[in-house]
Amino acid sequence: MSAKHREFESEALVHMDVLYGLAMRFTGGDDAAAQDLVQDTLLKAYRAWDRFEPGTNCRAWLTTILRNTFINDLRRRQARPAPVEYDEVAERSVYPQLHEEDAEGGFFDRIVDQEVIRAIEELPEDFRVPLVLADLEGIGYQEISELLEIPVGTVKSRLFRARRRLQQRLYRYAIEMGYIR
Amino acid sequence: MTHDEQPPGDAVSPEGGGTVDELSCEEAARSVFEYLDGELPPDYSEKVHRHVEMCRRCYPYFSFERAFLDYVHDRGMRPARSAELEERLNRLLKDLDEREP
Repeated sequence: MSAKHREFESEALVHMDVLYGLAMRFTGGDDAAAQDLVQDTLLKAYRAWDRFEPGTNCRAWLTTILRNTFINDLRRRQARPAPVEYDEVAERSVYPQLHEEDAEGGFFDRIVDQEVIRAIEELPEDFRVPLVLADLEGIGYQEISELLEIPVGTVKSRLFRARRRLQQRLYRYAIEMGYIR
Repeated sequence: MTHDEQPPGDAVSPEGGGTVDELSCEEAARSVFEYLDGELPPDYSEKVHRHVEMCRRCYPYFSFERAFLDYVHDRGMRPARSAELEERLNRLLKDLDEREP
């Protein structure tokens, strides 16, 4: 193993699970696409390894490469985006149903992690990608607007709808599982 | 403005909104995510903040939505493991090593 490979392994490959998790969220749980995305990301990073400054945040550098790789591919695929279907009923806060028994939102903690992951991954792509960028990566509306080449108003709207859909889905799941009445 | 560009308001209280510090509950609730995301202009954000701090209906609602966003962030970023991917990458990097001088 070369010195470069050894260094890359200890600095970059240790973040593979984080990258793969993020890739799964971006690709909607498509394992093959997520693996390809992580592979492309890490190969790009390996080729550019001499440009990485030791001591800086390697994980942030890698997630930026992954995000840009995914979004470039998304733009190619979405040259003709499919219209998003709206369901107003699914887009209300679940707070009115829950506030009497659970005003602080503790109900979310009772839902198993895997269900949340599945709920994010099953959101339509137009909603899922802004949600992953904003809520998982902490990116602001303006930057998301530039990355996805959509107006800031559309970012807000899609983020709003994504969050509401997610909440409604988790609420229905919690009822089915008997976590709440 | 199209349907896609305008988030709907989210009325919180079935009893109807009150007004605290020049902002109705409905107006405050309409900005809930922009407020929690730190995306409101500072003056308006301050107005929403004052309203929420003073309003017995909006305070628990905003706390609930904050808990939801924190929850999505914490759980959504959970790493995933793939032995297949690990194997595939190690093989690829080894191949690259061998090809590089």
